[in-house]
Amino acid sequence: MNNENSGLHGDEITPAARRLARHLPQRLIEETVAAETRRQFFGRSARGLGGLALASLMGEAAATRGEAIGGQPGLPHHAPKAKRCIYLHLVGAPPQIDLFDPKPGMKDWFDKDLPDSIRRGQRLTTMTSGQSRFPIAPSVFQFKQHGKSGMALSELLPYTGRMADDIALIRTMNTEAINHEPAITFMQTGSMIAGRPCIGSWTSYGLGSMNQDLPSFVVLHASHSHPRANVQAISARLWSAGFLSAQYAGVALRSSGDSVLYLNNPDGVPSPVRRRMLDALGEMNQIQHQQTGDPETLARIAQYEMAFRMQTSVPELTDLSKEPASTYSLYGEEAKKPGTFANTCLMARRLAERGVRFIQVYQRGWDVHGQLPEVLPSQCKDVDQAVFGLVQDLKSRGMFDDTLVIFGGEFGRTIYSQGKLTATDYGRDHHPRCFSLWLAGGGIKGATVHGETDEFSYNIVSDPVHVRDLQATLLHLFGVHHEKFTYRFQGLDQRLTGVEPARVVRNILA
Amino acid sequence: MSRVLIVITCGALVYVAASAQKSQGVAAKPVVRSAAKTAGKPAGKPVDFQREVRPFLSGNCFACHGPDPQTRMAGLRLDTREGLAETRKAGLPVTPGDPDKSLIWQRINHPNTGLRMPPLASHKTLTDAEKDVVRRWIEQGAQWQEQWAFKTPVRTPLPPVKNTEWVRNAIDRFVLARMEAAGLAPAPESDRRTLARRLALDLTGLPPAPADVEAFVNDQSKDYYDRYVDRLMASGRWGEHRARYWLDAARYADTHGIHVDNYREMWPYRDWVIKAFNGNMPFSQFTVEQIAGDLLPNRTLDQQIASGFHRCNVTTNEAGVIIDEVEAIYAKDRVDTTGTVFLGLTVGCATCHDHKFDPIAQRDFYSMAAFFRNTTQNAMDGNIPDTPPVIVVPSDEDRPRWSRLAEDEQAAHARMDARRAAGPAEFASWLDGTGRRNIKAPVDAAAQVYSLDPASVTLAASTKLGAGREAERKAVHFEAKTGIELPNVAAVDAGKPFSVSALFLMPKGDDAYVVASQSDGKDKGRGWVMEVLGRVIALRITADDGRSIQIRAGHLEQLKPGTWNHVVATYDGTREQPGMTLLVNGKTALAQGGDSMIVLKGSINNGQPLRLGHDSTRGLAGGALAELRIYNRILSAEEARLDGQWAQLEASREKAAPALNASEREALLLHYLNTQDAPYRALVGQLAALRDERRAMRRRGAITHVMQERSDRQPMAHILYRGMYDQPRDKVEPAVPSVLPPMTASMPRNRLGLAQWLVDPANPLVSRVTVNRFWQELFGTGLVKTSEDFGSQGTAPTHPELLDWLAVDFRESGWDVKRLFKLMVSSATYRQSAQATEKKLKEDPENKLLARGPRFRMDGEMIRDYALASAGLLSPRLGGPSVKPYQPEGVWEAVAMLGSNTRFYKRDEGDKLYRRSLYTFWKRSAPPAAMEIFNAPTRENCSVRRERTNTPLQALVTMNDVQFVEAARRLAESAMQAAPGDVERQIGTIAERLLARPLAARERDVARRAYVDFLRHYDSNQEDARKLLAAGEIAVDGKLPNVPLAALTMLSNQFMNLDEVLAK
Repeated sequence: MNNENSGLHGDEITPAARRLARHLPQRLIEETVAAETRRQFFGRSARGLGGLALASLMGEAAATRGEAIGGQPGLPHHAPKAKRCIYLHLVGAPPQIDLFDPKPGMKDWFDKDLPDSIRRGQRLTTMTSGQSRFPIAPSVFQFKQHGKSGMALSELLPYTGRMADDIALIRTMNTEAINHEPAITFMQTGSMIAGRPCIGSWTSYGLGSMNQDLPSFVVLHASHSHPRANVQAISARLWSAGFLSAQYAGVALRSSGDSVLYLNNPDGVPSPVRRRMLDALGEMNQIQHQQTGDPETLARIAQYEMAFRMQTSVPELTDLSKEPASTYSLYGEEAKKPGTFANTCLMARRLAERGVRFIQVYQRGWDVHGQLPEVLPSQCKDVDQAVFGLVQDLKSRGMFDDTLVIFGGEFGRTIYSQGKLTATDYGRDHHPRCFSLWLAGGGIKGATVHGETDEFSYNIVSDPVHVRDLQATLLHLFGVHHEKFTYRFQGLDQRLTGVEPARVVRNILA
Repeated sequence: MSRVLIVITCGALVYVAASAQKSQGVAAKPVVRSAAKTAGKPAGKPVDFQREVRPFLSGNCFACHGPDPQTRMAGLRLDTREGLAETRKAGLPVTPGDPDKSLIWQRINHPNTGLRMPPLASHKTLTDAEKDVVRRWIEQGAQWQEQWAFKTPVRTPLPPVKNTEWVRNAIDRFVLARMEAAGLAPAPESDRRTLARRLALDLTGLPPAPADVEAFVNDQSKDYYDRYVDRLMASGRWGEHRARYWLDAARYADTHGIHVDNYREMWPYRDWVIKAFNGNMPFSQFTVEQIAGDLLPNRTLDQQIASGFHRCNVTTNEAGVIIDEVEAIYAKDRVDTTGTVFLGLTVGCATCHDHKFDPIAQRDFYSMAAFFRNTTQNAMDGNIPDTPPVIVVPSDEDRPRWSRLAEDEQAAHARMDARRAAGPAEFASWLDGTGRRNIKAPVDAAAQVYSLDPASVTLAASTKLGAGREAERKAVHFEAKTGIELPNVAAVDAGKPFSVSALFLMPKGDDAYVVASQSDGKDKGRGWVMEVLGRVIALRITADDGRSIQIRAGHLEQLKPGTWNHVVATYDGTREQPGMTLLVNGKTALAQGGDSMIVLKGSINNGQPLRLGHDSTRGLAGGALAELRIYNRILSAEEARLDGQWAQLEASREKAAPALNASEREALLLHYLNTQDAPYRALVGQLAALRDERRAMRRRGAITHVMQERSDRQPMAHILYRGMYDQPRDKVEPAVPSVLPPMTASMPRNRLGLAQWLVDPANPLVSRVTVNRFWQELFGTGLVKTSEDFGSQGTAPTHPELLDWLAVDFRESGWDVKRLFKLMVSSATYRQSAQATEKKLKEDPENKLLARGPRFRMDGEMIRDYALASAGLLSPRLGGPSVKPYQPEGVWEAVAMLGSNTRFYKRDEGDKLYRRSLYTFWKRSAPPAAMEIFNAPTRENCSVRRERTNTPLQALVTMNDVQFVEAARRLAESAMQAAPGDVERQIGTIAERLLARPLAARERDVARRAYVDFLRHYDSNQEDARKLLAAGEIAVDGKLPNVPLAALTMLSNQFMNLDEVLAK
């Protein structure tokens, strides 16, 4: 917009105002012109006051010093290894047998029944509980060993293989949930029943924000490519603050429309007009505050200022035009397309750079009940190079050491086929007893393979890691003791890991 | 234990014998202490047991020394008087008057951290202030009181106050007494404009019209206040506003919630709530009808609708879920909700173990659950809008006729019964005649399109002929998934009625079976198929586009393996699911439909052969088919029964009348009446007409979900070990928590009894919890801040005597809601100015002492309604289906399943964009975006207290949401229309609409300057003006000049964002 024409900032108000005679009675013009001098004062003082209120509320000074704004006293409990987290959740549950937990011996078991001694009466979903037999489906994909540890990974994840020395692969994750909704909710909130705060909310609440222009906890949704991938529902409850104050809820960054809901001014309201409106609003709110003395009014002024800053900072965040070509050779060309997993990974890095503490990414399409050999390669192609690119990018920017990256789903999948099994086609049902997930970055010991499952990838043989253990570990890396970090609700000192025992997985720590 | 009363006088302790007082020392015997000892150590500020001591004990000790025996350490209980007085090896837990001799005091100060309480592992550290409470409590005699909330509330005498002039009613006496004790004085009364706005917002949820404000300000009559309040409460808006709060508690929404999260038709329940408040239904009745309206004798349609309260819970249809688990979750939700809303108790904490803080055992939880576990509801919601049990709710216009329909139907049935019982004189001669020897069809040969004769079909390889239900009957037995194909059977079609009847043998397996079909899997399944899924029978009709309607027997009507069953499904040609009926073994099935919103398109006829025992992919292996008939009309229920009596009719053909057995005779009578007897046939015709009328009303009306008890068993539940659905332990009968007064003998042991118990005068909680929630609606915070928890871990009431006084008064008034609100808003307490002084902010930042009036940010719904009302946009329509106003694109799609019917948000048009926010369609997995940003709950669980955060995202909504931009423009337009050319008056109009007051000079100055700057911008950037004015669906008033209108729109947008506008 042309400032000269707008007349909002210039000092040549009087000539411009005269042109308005056709809209205004003369008296009003005169009064307005007469008020010019006063205006300088009011304008400045209003902004000054607003700024002051903001500084005290948002801890501007603290932020400038690189400290967290907000957060709970006494936290962190110990020196944190991770300052921020990028959690890539693959909704639907990737099949560990085809990606992370090779069972070559299963070739000989093709179409043979899973022994009862292995199944041990485990409860099944009603999708396969009606099956008369449980024929074993060996993976059709090859595995290769990578890096110092000889970490065996599927041929579908070549890029992940290249960074095997950076990641700690847990093969013995386990949960109690056997359906997506409760299982994702469990991973995110420590309970299968909705209504509790998710990890991102806990960390925002406990550790505060590291920036003043963006929310502390951001959620991104990545699209998937395969048209026939089986998609699971997610819902806003997964990034809700539960019983914590709603200010700790995740803010979803969208890939179409306003990137943050209602972020953009209406058409015909350019930024200087909004600025002018906010100044006048602030002045009037100040007057109101003098009347009522309600501190909430000052807080509101501060929040409007933060909103205004977000109007600048978010478009700057989502504007990829200044990313060099090397970015796309790293993440892949798909990263240019809004909403792809690669694009989302790039956005996650940009958010991390700007001090966002918890970045939660969801990608759907991993619920491979059928046509697994057809769908899985496409899902892997969506994510493999992109997440590799993310890790390399964090490294080159010196952020890898204090950024935790998590990659995994909500449970595992069965070694036996759901539905028809052929040499080239099969599906897998939900399996809570074991699944794989990897972590990298802040405080994680790379080139680590943790835990062992039996020859059917059905039961855990050694070093189980429960969902709660993962959560305790995550908090530990943030410098937080999961038992000491509580919030009083419904009369209980609630914590992310709940009341059941949880332990930090020391073996994967650097 | 002897009963003692402790009185504290001048710091010394004197024990006085008393008979039945509430406060009693824990000591087993009165301990006489020397005055010398206490004189040197003054006991300090008196402790308040409920506000200070109990919370301390509960928060720090009860987890290991509380009600739950499973986790109790060292056998020590600190939550009972007996436990505190029990002699232990090391002494007494508490020695009244002597902290040093009290184990509690010793252990919280123990030098050895290993022995210090609370233990290290609890990660709790006591502050000096907390320890001081304990010390003073013991020094002052360790007075003990039961949890206040479990004691029956009583009206205490009004406390004396100094400033009696300030007092307007009883509320003020209690409030002022505390204020005076704390050395605070009330704030001055608000001016009339502020009160006009506050009252309108509190009683209707909407800002007052400027004319109403002026009338209120200028009303010189004595009762001006009362009349204003009465007028507001008489408006239909009152009920809408009260209902909105209630709908959070009832977790009302328009979708199922989990997974596919499809549409659920439930809004008649929401409208019932509005009507109940508008009609000032006593809260007791309001409670009973929602908990058990379906169980009331001579229940009305409205009472049944009310029972939908407990059908508002989240449900699932996720493939793979385990039914037992889901049913346990539903029951838990109903217990939790009942506990929170009516009892103010966290009953749900006792799901896995006894409650850690309140005396609620796990057995209590499951006894409560038993009330809710006797439902006919299927765990799986079917992803359909009308998961049974549901009822039809006719439109208001149809309602009178709807209830008379039932009477007319009954009358016709009665006349038919009478004629059947008497047996027409002509029947005997017909029996003796030859006519009956020619019976060719059970009902009506002309209507019969096809009838199976098993003996005459060519058997396929996998079929054989064998015996049917009656030994002499033939039936086709199927051995594999292949059946028999019969070409040249006339087809039925979607636009015409038809019926299919079958007599078949239910196989012993658990597969999906097909009884018969005229359909082809290759053509999107077009045609019809009668099938058995999960052992229940269904008829599915599929049209051109592959979309189906179907009727399916409920999950409680599973067919027994290895039995013969007679099934009739009818379809009336209306292309919709409600046009289908199902009769199983002579009885109308408690059926559930497919999607009742689907309308079949095009034809279902694809020239397919009739297939017996298969549909080209599935079969009836292990089953058999003895009869199959297709009719070209719908059969009445009686005709359907007659169809099932074909065997008797056939068997009787060659018999002489005297040789007929009873069932043959009865079948013949039925046949005669339905086919020969003119008066009877006239009645049948009359019933058919009534049925058609009913269906037409059904289509015009709505569906709502209701509660329905299973009649085949009594309510019961199992205690689930650690809350696990697959670990059932003891069986329990329905009962209320044992810490509360028991149900009386006259209360039935079902939901109705539970409802009666809730509103019984003996119940100490419901009236308190309810008045507290209403108080919270007005004052922002309840007298008990934790309005959801009146238990040990909740906050103690700020004004316990006031809470009790209000609770008793409310109950004794006949639970009169309007009266209660009038009492509250008439108080001087309520009328105070919200102005906060330095002193009050410092000494009472949360306004617990109520020494100033309420001021807080309004809920998202109110903020939106406020903007719409001020702009003159708000639709006055009350009730009806939920609407979809403006919402940014992609909010639903981001989370939805591909197949969900709430995946794409299709915005409504016209009037529906401007309805009150409580009518906005509520999708649980993606609640209305703007409301959620303002702390609306997701409506997945019961919620009785909303948070009030203050975030930048909220600022973005009210600045940028098209709803607000359009409202700002409309307000600007009307201001310009009202005062053309007069900018001063235009600004004044906007202020009056939004603030209910004129602007102060300073404010006017700020507004004017901003306006001029906006004007300057739009004058220089006319394209911006055009764009700004184009926001929204309503076209701009072309007569108004763009530039000033755009400037005034911005100013109006600015005003709508004022803290004063956003706050009540």
